[in-house]
Amino acid sequence: MKLELRDLEVSFAGQRDRPVASVGELAVDAGEIVGVAGESGSGKSMMILAVLGLAGTAGATVTGSVRLDGQELIGMSGAGLRAIRGRRIAAIFQSPALAFNPVYRVGRIVHRTLRLHGLSAAAAGARAEEAMRSVLLDPHLLRRYPSQLSGGQLQRVAIALALALRAEVLLADEPTSALDVTVQAEVLELLRELRDERGMAILFVSHDLAVIAELCDRVAVMRAGQVVETGPVGQVTTAPRHDYTRELLAAVPRLEVRP
Amino acid sequence: MRRLLRLSGASPLITTGGAVALLIVLVALLAPLVAPFPADAGSATHPEFALQAPSLHHLFGTDQVGRDVFTRVLYGARVSPLIALFVLVIACVVGIPLGVVAGYFGGVLDEVIMRVTDVFLAFPSLLLSLAFAAVLPPSLTSLTIAIAITWWPWYTRLIRGQAASVAGRPYVESCRALGLPAWRILLRHVLPNAVTPLIVQVSLDFGGVILTASALSFLGLGAQDPTPDWGLMVAEGQNYFTTQWWLVTYPGLAILLTALAFNLLGDGLRDVLDPRRVIVR
Amino acid sequence: MTVQPTTVQPTTGGPLLEVRDLKVSFGPVRALDGVSLELAPGPFGLALVGESGSGKTTAGRAILRLVSAAGGTVRFEGQDVLALRGRRLRDYRRAAQIVFQDADNSLDPRMRIGTAIGEVLKVHGDRGTDRVAALLSEAALDPALASRYPHQLSGGQRQRVAIARALAVSPRLLVLDEPTSALDVTAQARILALIRRLRTERALAYLLITHNLAIVPELCERTAVLYLGRVVETGPTADLLARPAHPYTLALCSAVPEVDPATRRTRIILPGDTPRAGSQPGGCPFHPRCPLAVDRCRVTVPPSHEVAPGHHAACHRAEEVLAGLRPPGASAQLADGG
Repeated sequence: MKLELRDLEVSFAGQRDRPVASVGELAVDAGEIVGVAGESGSGKSMMILAVLGLAGTAGATVTGSVRLDGQELIGMSGAGLRAIRGRRIAAIFQSPALAFNPVYRVGRIVHRTLRLHGLSAAAAGARAEEAMRSVLLDPHLLRRYPSQLSGGQLQRVAIALALALRAEVLLADEPTSALDVTVQAEVLELLRELRDERGMAILFVSHDLAVIAELCDRVAVMRAGQVVETGPVGQVTTAPRHDYTRELLAAVPRLEVRP
Repeated sequence: MRRLLRLSGASPLITTGGAVALLIVLVALLAPLVAPFPADAGSATHPEFALQAPSLHHLFGTDQVGRDVFTRVLYGARVSPLIALFVLVIACVVGIPLGVVAGYFGGVLDEVIMRVTDVFLAFPSLLLSLAFAAVLPPSLTSLTIAIAITWWPWYTRLIRGQAASVAGRPYVESCRALGLPAWRILLRHVLPNAVTPLIVQVSLDFGGVILTASALSFLGLGAQDPTPDWGLMVAEGQNYFTTQWWLVTYPGLAILLTALAFNLLGDGLRDVLDPRRVIVR
Repeated sequence: MTVQPTTVQPTTGGPLLEVRDLKVSFGPVRALDGVSLELAPGPFGLALVGESGSGKTTAGRAILRLVSAAGGTVRFEGQDVLALRGRRLRDYRRAAQIVFQDADNSLDPRMRIGTAIGEVLKVHGDRGTDRVAALLSEAALDPALASRYPHQLSGGQRQRVAIARALAVSPRLLVLDEPTSALDVTAQARILALIRRLRTERALAYLLITHNLAIVPELCERTAVLYLGRVVETGPTADLLARPAHPYTLALCSAVPEVDPATRRTRIILPGDTPRAGSQPGGCPFHPRCPLAVDRCRVTVPPSHEVAPGHHAACHRAEEVLAGLRPPGASAQLADGG
């Protein structure tokens, strides 16, 4: 397994008995998309931060195990985590505009990140261009400022960055929730390609069960910080075992056409 | 009341600043009861006791006409902070409505108000106060007016930005959509949401006004003898600074303490009123 | 709940709201480029569907006089709304209300929700705290919540407060601007159920502005699809979704994700991104991204014409699309069975 979470608990100081996120077991293999379905307050975003080793910045403590190719990430030194973040585990978030510093051109941020992870200037330029083409964006868009790009374009640049770094794992926290539905379709298609052609392991967090049902191979349903059900997505959506899963499924509006 | 107490415990800055400020207010209120020589705060003079060093009898010594400095410092607490209070009240009463109206309505009204504000802001405030104080007959009232005239534009500018930002928010647009009249929107929705940074600024300015009033009194424009204004006391004592240091030091300390107390209060308020406060452990 | 009488006299038989050729500009940007819509008196729902840059939010705002129109007419119960001012404008604001998308920001954070609703009642001449309690329970909220501040409520609850507040003036027309976009799926389901119930209980007519096609069939009889400030297709919802006559509607329907694999449609991926408002190209506004575009589309703006009873589309190839023309690779059927 590429990424393995075991007995992961994220809690705030003084509330260790009430963790905001508690995952007994969750694994993502290379070439697989695992979905985490949950509403706000379910703890799914804290889980992502914990995997990245960033939960501390929100004031939370993390116990348990997160292994990348068998290597334990919890408790790793800051330097060690920085080498992994972005380079081996990349992340994209709901609001792509917030991920890019508005005073810098997008290309500069991409370049800098690549250079920080050890690439030469020439290699960084080449990789960035190649990655932009992979996400169906014209490389010259790198010279734009974030405000000059649409949400969909920015999200694709974020994915391009993950590609350029040859990340093995992609953590996606509601990456399409803020996008138009036609643009969402494109980004989801892109994620499928990443899984199929590059063998990326993708952890996809969303409150939209329909998107998860279409995109993911397996799904874990979270509620109030706990994982209540996991399984292959076809099974969970057609034969849910937990009441909450049933409730979620019933609430999803469907585009049925009444006769 | 409970909220007030909770607020005061919320940060050490507020606690310290608030405590000292409260002390100053108490001193101001109780001065006639606590001061050993109340007449010295008025027109009494005792030339035979002039320039005595601090002793048990006169805690802060006596000044050049024999008045007890301690008494005068205590009574001074009724003068300087009161001036500051009036100045800030006037500045708010003039500045806030102008700023809110400018920010909410925008357009020509905004332009006109802001240009007038800019004119006042173009002058260095101390010079402008000086100019006004020099023209008006020297008194505490003139001092108050002179400083207030230079103070209100800052508040207009500050609250105009806030009001403009609040005016664009969905809940204000909702109010318009619901048919609420403009005055109501301004008073009950825009103002309360725009005023927070101003509250902080006002408490910070308390010290600033006192310092300005002291400077003007120091220059002879404002409080006149025998009013126990701290700034005036420093002015009168400057000639004796090297030998009879207590004439300048104690009033000066009083100014420092007051300014500091309200500065701390303002800092603390700013921290506490910021809804995005994140405590990083 | 009785409907409050107002000074606006309804004309018998005509549509409740009639929008003809509405144009709105923000400086050089043409956000709405001639939009025409019609709403029947309640209970009735019209969905205004579009993505960013389509102008759907602007349309809702323009209808309620929250932004100024550059051209066209808006008639509410026969009266020209764009020319109203003063007292008559205020009366219109009672009859036509709006619920905003951003539940977090549409309530004054410093006002208790009971006070906020009470304020609206007071301004329009109604008094009584029992009305506040009644409105809260109508919106499926515990009346005891009246003493709470907005930040003490969940997103779904805040949205329901916004709805209760809009209902305080007993409007006949309600504009719902993305009422559920900021909500979780279970809260969304509850809001949709609430709207359905209110529709029946109050004989409400509403304009549902949304980018989420999936919530449309259960709430709206008719749908209008917007693209770059123009209505590209309009018709009975069931018809429009089962047999669309415009390539954009096709793509939009195909992009909606479905839980059930059987109802999934082959994605029609549109190249590029949703364009920014005001960037209309020559000819049909959709032609740069349209998988079925031909030369004519680049030159002439297709007029909206009737392709089936009550079903209009603005496309040169509308009849072909209606008959089943699809971009290569897309399945001929869209919804279940068909």
